[in-house]
Amino acid sequence: MSCHKPDPKQAGFDPSLPSGGAPLKTPIGILYPPNLTPDTQTGIGNWSDLEFVNAMQRGISKSGQHLIPAFPYTSYAAMPVGDVLDIKAYLMSLKPVTSPKRDADIPIAFLLRRGLGLWKFLGLNTTPWKPDSSQTVAWNRGSYLVNGPGHCGECHTPRNLIMVRDESRLFAGGPHPEGQGKVPGMRSLLERSRYKDKKDLATALQFGEEFGYENMASGGMRQVQINMSKLPQSDIDAIAEYLISLK
Amino acid sequence: MLSKKLFKSISAGALVLSLGITLAYAAADDVIKARQNWMKERAKALGPMVAIMKGEAPYDAAAVKASLDAVNATWEAVKDIELFAPDSAKGETVETFAKAEIWSDPEGFKAAGEAMEKAFSNLAATTDEAGFKAAFPAVGAACGGCHEKFRRPKG
Repeated sequence: MSCHKPDPKQAGFDPSLPSGGAPLKTPIGILYPPNLTPDTQTGIGNWSDLEFVNAMQRGISKSGQHLIPAFPYTSYAAMPVGDVLDIKAYLMSLKPVTSPKRDADIPIAFLLRRGLGLWKFLGLNTTPWKPDSSQTVAWNRGSYLVNGPGHCGECHTPRNLIMVRDESRLFAGGPHPEGQGKVPGMRSLLERSRYKDKKDLATALQFGEEFGYENMASGGMRQVQINMSKLPQSDIDAIAEYLISLK
Repeated sequence: MLSKKLFKSISAGALVLSLGITLAYAAADDVIKARQNWMKERAKALGPMVAIMKGEAPYDAAAVKASLDAVNATWEAVKDIELFAPDSAKGETVETFAKAEIWSDPEGFKAAGEAMEKAFSNLAATTDEAGFKAAFPAVGAACGGCHEKFRRPKG
């Protein structure tokens, strides 16, 4: 949702609705994430379930083009289709906003989209997320939320030269995708004294800087944390349990 | 051929110039260090209130007052320093996490500062636990609002 906010420089748009347009700087150029409200002309109002799932889990647009993987279908691919359709149902319940799509400022966009098919062969893992029976129910819930819908690894896992996530360094942190500074690693949070315990991390995720966790705001994390604060307590605790276990 | 006198004055001039540049850099480093230290001191000063928010310490009006006084003292300590001087956007030997937006969006930066002051004055006006717990998050939100816009991630 945070990536699909309206452009703050354009007046007249409700910032709480994902009508799209706020620029997203990426290493290959500037993208303008599209309108996710159910407007039939400029939004997803007349998308079928299949079109929505194709976009979310395979990175294929309604018109059949490859989508640029700044859109984290690489994470959503791990979700059960039912959960993806629940997201669609939620989006369809929002107020439709007319906000036309703006083309990306990417010098080689045409070429790039063709090449993305090949990229997906390397960078898109379509294996659904599976629980680990040796772990607790909460740990598994956290693992699913972090790796699937939460798509935490899109920023917190470093990428190789062709922007494929380096799974051997899962959640090890890396350069910030928007080009300024670094994204912190999420491994060994206790050992590195980033948090005191599971509860401390859960409080940080829930309340962020409003409770004085001063590293919860920068590089876009504040918006992520504000979104996370809306999760049920049990989900926040589950995420904390999973993250703390990463070594 | 250069006369000895002219050579001397050129050398002296170059020396003064290079010293000047060194001093300017040192000054930027000093400003960066001062503001980083100021931020650290503020975080420390806020500590007792954060502990109450997290439920690690019981609410205590006197402790809140002391904490607010400590925050004010951090202001007092730096009131003669221009903490965000334009030439402190980049340090010579010290790394700064300040974003260029501080200087390219002075109005936004000023507004963020004013939001902070307002949040603090509202907090200072509270007299009981419920009021305190309702007012503190605005202070944190002001910290976070400014950090998100004007500080780049540290990694």
